Amino acid sequence: MKKKYTIFCCLLILLIGLLIVACDEAGGRPKIRWYVGLGAGSNEETLEPQKAVVAKFNENPDRKSHLILEIVTNAQAYDTLATQMAAGNAPDIVGPVGIRGRDSFKGSWLDLDPLVAKAGYDLSDFDPALVDFYRVIEEGLLGLPFAVYPSYIFGNKDLFDNAKLNYPPQKYGDKYIMPDGSAVDWTWDTVKKIGMLLTIDKNGNNATSPNFDGENVVQWGFHFQWTDARGIGTEFGAGSLVDNNWQVQIPPQWVEGWKWHQNGMWVSKFMPNGPQVNSDLLAKGNTFDSNNIAMVHCHLWYAACCVGNVKGQWDNYCVPSYKGVTTAKLHADTFEIMKASKNPEAAFEVMAYLIGPAAPDLLKIYGGMPARKSLQATYFDEFGKGKQFEGKTLNWQVVVDSMQYADNPNHESWMPSFQETTARYNDFYNLIMDKPDTNIDEQVALMKDDLQKIFDAAKAKEGAK
Amino acid sequence: MSNIQNRNADMYLTQDLLKRKRARNELIRRLKSAGITLASLTVLFVFLLPLVYGVVGSLKSDNQISSPRAPLVIPSSQRKYTYKGKEYDILKVPTNDGIKEWAIVEKSPDYSMFIDPKNPEAGEIKWEGKWITLDNVWYTDFKWINYVDAWNKIRFERLLFNTAMYAILSTFGAVMSAAIVAYGFARFRFKQKGFLFMIVMATIILPPAVTLIPTYFVFFKIGWINTWLPLIIPAYFANGYNIFLLRQFYLGIPREMDEAAKIDGAGPIKTFLLVILPQALPALTAVTLFHFFFCWNDFFGPLIYLISARDLHPIQVGLTQFNQLYTQKTNWIMSASITSSVIPLVIFFFAQKFFMQGVVITGVEK
Amino acid sequence: MNQSITITDVKLKHLDLAKHEARWGLIFISPWIVGFLLFYLFPMIASIGFTMMNINLGNTEETRFIGIENWKRALTGGDTKILESIINISRFALLSLPIGMGFGLFLAILMNSKLMIGKELFRTLFYMPTMIPLAATTLIWTGVFNEYTGWINLFLQNVFGVKAMGVNGVRWLADPNLIYYTYTIMGLWGVGNMMLLLLAGLQKVPTELYEAARVDGAGWWRQLWHITIPMISPIIFYNLTLGVIGIMQYFLVPYILNGGSGYPEGMTYFIMVHFYKQAFTYFNMGYGAVIAWIIFLIALALTGLLFGTANKWVYYAGGTDK
Repeated sequence: MKKKYTIFCCLLILLIGLLIVACDEAGGRPKIRWYVGLGAGSNEETLEPQKAVVAKFNENPDRKSHLILEIVTNAQAYDTLATQMAAGNAPDIVGPVGIRGRDSFKGSWLDLDPLVAKAGYDLSDFDPALVDFYRVIEEGLLGLPFAVYPSYIFGNKDLFDNAKLNYPPQKYGDKYIMPDGSAVDWTWDTVKKIGMLLTIDKNGNNATSPNFDGENVVQWGFHFQWTDARGIGTEFGAGSLVDNNWQVQIPPQWVEGWKWHQNGMWVSKFMPNGPQVNSDLLAKGNTFDSNNIAMVHCHLWYAACCVGNVKGQWDNYCVPSYKGVTTAKLHADTFEIMKASKNPEAAFEVMAYLIGPAAPDLLKIYGGMPARKSLQATYFDEFGKGKQFEGKTLNWQVVVDSMQYADNPNHESWMPSFQETTARYNDFYNLIMDKPDTNIDEQVALMKDDLQKIFDAAKAKEGAK
Repeated sequence: MSNIQNRNADMYLTQDLLKRKRARNELIRRLKSAGITLASLTVLFVFLLPLVYGVVGSLKSDNQISSPRAPLVIPSSQRKYTYKGKEYDILKVPTNDGIKEWAIVEKSPDYSMFIDPKNPEAGEIKWEGKWITLDNVWYTDFKWINYVDAWNKIRFERLLFNTAMYAILSTFGAVMSAAIVAYGFARFRFKQKGFLFMIVMATIILPPAVTLIPTYFVFFKIGWINTWLPLIIPAYFANGYNIFLLRQFYLGIPREMDEAAKIDGAGPIKTFLLVILPQALPALTAVTLFHFFFCWNDFFGPLIYLISARDLHPIQVGLTQFNQLYTQKTNWIMSASITSSVIPLVIFFFAQKFFMQGVVITGVEK
Repeated sequence: MNQSITITDVKLKHLDLAKHEARWGLIFISPWIVGFLLFYLFPMIASIGFTMMNINLGNTEETRFIGIENWKRALTGGDTKILESIINISRFALLSLPIGMGFGLFLAILMNSKLMIGKELFRTLFYMPTMIPLAATTLIWTGVFNEYTGWINLFLQNVFGVKAMGVNGVRWLADPNLIYYTYTIMGLWGVGNMMLLLLAGLQKVPTELYEAARVDGAGWWRQLWHITIPMISPIIFYNLTLGVIGIMQYFLVPYILNGGSGYPEGMTYFIMVHFYKQAFTYFNMGYGAVIAWIIFLIALALTGLLFGTANKWVYYAGGTDK
């Protein structure tokens, strides 16, 4: 045996040089990172236009900063942002972001008031009420108005024609003319009546017929598209699940709305139930686009993103009223600056750019109506030229008018323990949508108890500070 | 005489029997073969039924998918007829003269107006009944355009190139390092080996999500965000899955083979290269494929580490751009996903031969 | 030659050999040790640190040390979801692991048959679903399991005459009694890797063993039981261990299908889903880390148990040394 133990000090040599020279395109200017994904702006069509907006910003040598774009698909945007924040690598500016996204990261946003004052930023082009919309007690002005997405009724005219029915009104206050010639108020009750006439089974019977086969429906009358319990309730009158003392309240009009919805799905059957919504017949949830539904209630962004497949004529109509009150829930997106930003002033410069000179380009791709009054007049001339509207004439005035009926408090507004509360009421609503005979009153009582527990826990945590 | 004759007859009989027996065996073998193949086909059919749904879905128009009376499997389009500048659907209309293929120009709940495309001059024909109960006339129409669109939408070439680079670089390191480390664990006695191996297992057992933030923090601090380094470098230090897998295979290699090599004067390195590696070739191929496929389908890692380096994104990150805020472009997701799986499957198809033959140097009976 | 070596020589040599062996062993595993120190050790320690903090993502100023409060909450019944979700995942595991392993073994044996025509193609096709990206798989499964238009119910109703369609039919994704079967079926789609490993294992079983058994008159079943399974037991062991570890971390499917709501009736609220909700939806990073470490400890105990029983049923031709 040889005793020749050459002791290799061979912790395997790392061949890989760790130098990746990130070429410094910033040219010495501080880098500002713009994070997209919590709201609109992460789908395929919006990528290139957003890149162009960034390039335009960086071209200008007078800018204080160099802008970097980070786009994350909505489904992963929350995790990714959380990871970055926790590791101390938070972006500077986030948006477009709605109230939901903002409240998911409550406490992370910078109060803009000092920056607005310092920069002397002119707010006169915005509706003051809309500016106040972004003021949060104890936190300050968290965003500046950028895009608004009113909600209204999308109606498939072909299906109305086939049923020999009149179209819904396009001016708030107008009556609806029933098949028998009578003029009735445009209410949720009316929607139910004509919705049943527009709901047809595979044998051609509508939902008012005694022979109607509710298990084999091929066309439905109405659907609340892509919203949740709060959104549906709000159409019957704005409200909130929490009062100022952090006590649970369930707005009574919401319960009525939920019952109306439940009846529509499981008794009068003019609205698709949960599994039907997710079926191929209704395009796995993109119901209006399937051509098998006469009316849906949705927001303006829907017209931008997802209606490419509607064959025939369709148009925009008024939101129905409930007990004489019309509520058209509103989505509003903005940009916000993170508290963690190391360079808030440069971030504000970017923000001013995004909501100012870049706004027309961005709004077109996000599908939002401008919050700037000066841009509103011509907005729909441009927007209406979209590929998805080819060969169609749409009444956009309805959309503008719907703004007047915006929900206050907003259906996405703050609740204690926002995500947990949301999860709890979603559980409640899944029951209604997926099971024929959920007892709503019982479930509401259960939900109320659970929500109070969540609120109390949140309050205790808050108090512990 | 008769005896001899009988014996001859016997002999013929036996030969004949043997022949027949052989033929019968052959027949049985073929029957068995057919049976097994058929059974596999049945299993495969059920197993892949959902995939068929996906594949034909990617070749259909959205319109067909949501039409209640559309052909279920074959991608098809509705026949149309243009009348006075407008397009109308052609339906199968039952009449007294049998079923006619007419274009529907006006729909009403209880009657409809049709045009006979063969005789449009005759004008509109009124038909009593519910048009919704009538079938459309469909013709086979594969929407390959979905694939073309998806390809064009997400810069497939760039994404594929990135994915391939990342997967190859990472796989190379992962297999090489794991092969070496597993050898250490499988064949050598040293202090605390059990404990160290437990830590190897622990790195698998601890959910990666819990170390996500500190790991990200490490890479952020050393300036690796927006480079491939966090995705590639760690692979060169052997990961737990691969070590464990190769260790299992190494342990299955009889020691006698090492001993024989040792007697021939081979040191540990030589034994490793000449005995262990060739013996473990199937396992190494498997690890290579797994790691390569893992990289191919990796999504969250590249997403968070390459967040603002769009030019470095691999395919899975690009793919999800079809996921919109509320809905998804289902056709594109399907077609892009299928396209992205073609390359690994082709690799699989050819790699398997190589790894199935897996050089079994036998003579290893226990 | 041998006789000339004295006893002390043998001992010395033995010691030398042991040292020599240990040194080589450490050299071979050194890449992993370095990697562990560089990329794993700090994150692991940090995540233990997380468990003792109240981490508020928005306001890093509010992050503070709270000792074992998180652990207390998790372990003393302050959070009923923990036990509930552990029971759920155990029930699901008891169903899906045996079925998954059995199916993998069945496929591997089938694909290993010399009699089959077009083996390569079959293998590739069975492997195919493993390669379909998750975004598409989800679409496919929600599509085929839909109550009204899903192919599975269409198939059941039209081929077998079962009243399967509609909300009174078979509700694959909504019926709490069916949901574990549904998830198990979905899980079978990922069987490719297991099949592949078992196949690789089967290739290495010396054919002489089968010949000898045949001479002894052993039938197919006995060969399977007494030769095939013992010979590939290291691979079965690997798959079983990874299966147990994997199932403790099982969350992607329920997370994508129902956002981690546990639908239906909380049945799919698994322990890893609980972690994910706490850490990444509610952003309770500290408490989330506690759940993750509980998952870790359970999986570690189960893995230890498996390793403990391994010498009873896992056969290593190369032998093991302790």
